[in-house]
Amino acid sequence: RQRLTEELDRPKLQLLALSSVGIGLTYFLVWRRKAKKSIPLGDGWWGHGQQTLRDDNKIYPFKVETSEDEINDLHRRIDQMRYTEPLEDCGFQYGFNSNYLQKVVSYWRNQFDWKKQVAKLNEYPHFKTNIEGLDVHFVHVRAPHRPGQKVLPLMLVHGWPGSFFEFYKILPLLTDTKDDLAFEVICPSIPGYGFSEAPHKQGFCSLDAARIFLKLMERLGFNKFYLQGGDWGSLITTNMAQMKPQCVSGLHLNMLAVTKGGVGMLLSLIIGPYLPFLVGFTREDVRRLFPYFEKNVYDLLMESGYMHIQGTKPDTAGCGLNDSPVGLAAYILEKFSTWTDRKNRDLEDGDLEKKYSLDDLLTNVMIYWTTRSIIPSMRFYKENFKTNPQNRVDARTGIFVPMGHAAFPNELMHCPLPWARWRFKDIRSYSYMPRGGHFAAFEEPRLLAEDFVKFVRKVEGKKR
Amino acid sequence: MLLEVLLALVLGAVVLLVLRRSKAAVLKTEDGWWGAGSPPAGAEDESIRPFRVETSREEIEDLQRRIDQTRPVPSLEDSQFNYGFNSTYLQKVAAYWRNEFNWSKQVDKLNQYPHFKTKIEGIDVHYVHVKPKNLPEGRTAVPLIMVHGWPGSFYEFYGILPLLTEPANADDVAFEVICPSIPGYGFSEAPRKKGAWTRLGVPQARAAGVAIANMRLCSGRPGFNSVCAARVFLKLMRRLGFGRFYAQGGDWGWQITTNMAQLDPTAVKGLHINFAPVENVGPLVILSILLGRRFPGLFGFTELDVKRLYPRVEKMLVEPLKETGYFHIQATKPDTAGRGLNDSPVGLAAYILEKFSTWTDHEFRNLEDGGLERKFSLEDLLTNVMIYWTTGSITSSMRFYKENFAKGFYPPHARIPVTVPTGVAAFPNELMHTPKLWAKQKNHKLKTYTTMARGGHFAAMEEPGLMAQDIQKFIKVVEGKK
Repeated sequence: RQRLTEELDRPKLQLLALSSVGIGLTYFLVWRRKAKKSIPLGDGWWGHGQQTLRDDNKIYPFKVETSEDEINDLHRRIDQMRYTEPLEDCGFQYGFNSNYLQKVVSYWRNQFDWKKQVAKLNEYPHFKTNIEGLDVHFVHVRAPHRPGQKVLPLMLVHGWPGSFFEFYKILPLLTDTKDDLAFEVICPSIPGYGFSEAPHKQGFCSLDAARIFLKLMERLGFNKFYLQGGDWGSLITTNMAQMKPQCVSGLHLNMLAVTKGGVGMLLSLIIGPYLPFLVGFTREDVRRLFPYFEKNVYDLLMESGYMHIQGTKPDTAGCGLNDSPVGLAAYILEKFSTWTDRKNRDLEDGDLEKKYSLDDLLTNVMIYWTTRSIIPSMRFYKENFKTNPQNRVDARTGIFVPMGHAAFPNELMHCPLPWARWRFKDIRSYSYMPRGGHFAAFEEPRLLAEDFVKFVRKVEGKKR
Repeated sequence: MLLEVLLALVLGAVVLLVLRRSKAAVLKTEDGWWGAGSPPAGAEDESIRPFRVETSREEIEDLQRRIDQTRPVPSLEDSQFNYGFNSTYLQKVAAYWRNEFNWSKQVDKLNQYPHFKTKIEGIDVHYVHVKPKNLPEGRTAVPLIMVHGWPGSFYEFYGILPLLTEPANADDVAFEVICPSIPGYGFSEAPRKKGAWTRLGVPQARAAGVAIANMRLCSGRPGFNSVCAARVFLKLMRRLGFGRFYAQGGDWGWQITTNMAQLDPTAVKGLHINFAPVENVGPLVILSILLGRRFPGLFGFTELDVKRLYPRVEKMLVEPLKETGYFHIQATKPDTAGRGLNDSPVGLAAYILEKFSTWTDHEFRNLEDGGLERKFSLEDLLTNVMIYWTTGSITSSMRFYKENFAKGFYPPHARIPVTVPTGVAAFPNELMHTPKLWAKQKNHKLKTYTTMARGGHFAAMEEPGLMAQDIQKFIKVVEGKK
């Protein structure tokens, strides 16, 4: 009898062991999946020297100002520009065409009215508040309270080489609407950009910017809000949604960077052009993605020189641009030409004025010029690429808040819906926009606003 | 393990024997015209005009005014040179430049050797021509062309010129040296024409026999690249009456002198280089990368080779990525990259001198002052910067990168070996390290390969004595064999 018991015990024991392992494993996986729904907040201090005082929570009104000295200094430097002849017939293929640059510079010197633009900037109320040792600047636009209107809070985050000013055309479309939905909008400047103080310590990456913006919203009294962003704004708002998903009602992005490639991506690249529906591609996806090598590898290589030098030697790259306004303008406006439509590289004037006015473009440049923020703005690239971006905690975590994507045809990279689904687990809206490039809010404010509102209605609709 | 190694070796040997075709191919090139508009009818003006570097009060005052207008941005705490040129140290350099640097005196120093200009293919080519002063009876000077790179200039050779033209040792060869400026650099006129390309789709590329390995599938006329520069310099030497001569170069100078040897092997008696990156990664190179750490002796790897090449990912991927941002932007958007630097002298100095720091020793990135004055004097460094500044040539110098990489990393000349006697001076802190085995893949007549005691990328300027010694050693081997 003892023998039987012993023999029975072993399989029983084995069963027990296996099932406990199984239960343990299941619990572990479930727990892990649950835990992976957000990333840690962390903390930071970016001011000079050691942290001595606690954050002063006050919010101070701020006005953009200028002076005769500032304008005269700019004019003097523009006059001192040393022209270099471009190669014959090169369009924008070698960078900003020197001949066209002279026209832009002449307008800047003789017709551009910075005082008038400063007044335009001040049309909306600006503020500053100290977070983690830095003065963070933001524009706060309230909706005129119309009866029967629901007003939802929204933060719009810009990228490089843009600024809060890119949103000035879309702001009235979101805040001053006539229907039942309007938004109260916060447009901050990323620390190191424009009127936000630049970090004094190394390591300030998008996770830190995200945390600072979350603290900003909290300080302003918003505990649930929408987010919209492109370029760095896309990454920062995504990080915000990962850090405090309970605060984010919805996340709308006009640029999606594909970070996780892997077998799935490879398969869809191989099969996609021939049997797109098998891998979840639409005809439009195929049109925008292929020929893959040329559009996504070659073109990206052609256009990412700035990223490479800013991601490694930002202090060197920005040094000359901080003394030469013309150099700064060429550097920044080249992006506004090429990232709006890559075909602009073949044109003598880069078709810059087709979608933008020189006044608007130069106002954006002036924000970098008058605040001397070109170098800190470039450092952001280095800080984000220090650790392998694919291994960082946010790249390995999904996003569970409702998300909407407006895919503009001339964006730098196209991200089809199946790829977006790898990381964004709750995509409510995915739209192929009829026209527009990288600077969507600046170039096609109406299209972007419409898509954003459509997304919000879907999210709000589901809530009811 | 041993079995796998043996198999790999056998495979490697078979691959080598099967694939290695002795290419007696000579690099081909067409003539070019780089001046404005169309070439005029009639013969080109081949006169050689003496040239003097000059300056003026206005030039110096304008420079000083601009230095005064610098808007410095403080570097991050404790970042040294890791984010680029450190702001605090840059202010010191700018102060020296503003208050102590004497450009008139440096101009006199530049003019101590005779300068000339001559028109080739529509553009004015500048060069310095130094003849030995005291040649003993019956001895002739050996002609030598020395070509600079970026962000250098002919001025880098001013330390080594006396050692080559007036050697202390009676046994040593005395050289007659030509130091040209690459068109688009310094006092040489910049080419006006760009490359004319038409893009091909993959099927057309296949039909045209263009290697798919090339990043850019295209056909057409190249812009002013290293082969064009080589052709121009060959014409220069011919015009000066040198039928056979030696060539020396590092950085772009390496590429140009190599192309000269490929275009006209009979004219180039010997090629001495201090930079020899591998362009054509063949099976033997790959094998040595995979097994070289475990079996260095098998590939002739020295201790320095192993130290410089391993760990692989760090030394062959991460380090180059960290240092090639400038390369990437210059090879794609040179006109944008150079625009601000042509208005801001301090910006230009930061951009150029960052290289003189980091490429002399990577460890200098961790120093507050970038170790800049350990190997160079501020006077010499700024003279080089002034050559870019006073001629406004930073943008055209950057365009050279774009023209050379228009056809990807695998242009025709990368596949053709060098068949003239070659000597390699391998400096321990050079940007890219090339073991002897790798150098032999390209240079089929490698006569000398010296692991130098110390020195980095700007070898001629940093260690002129060591470099001159190695050139002498190389010449003696080549001439001795005759």
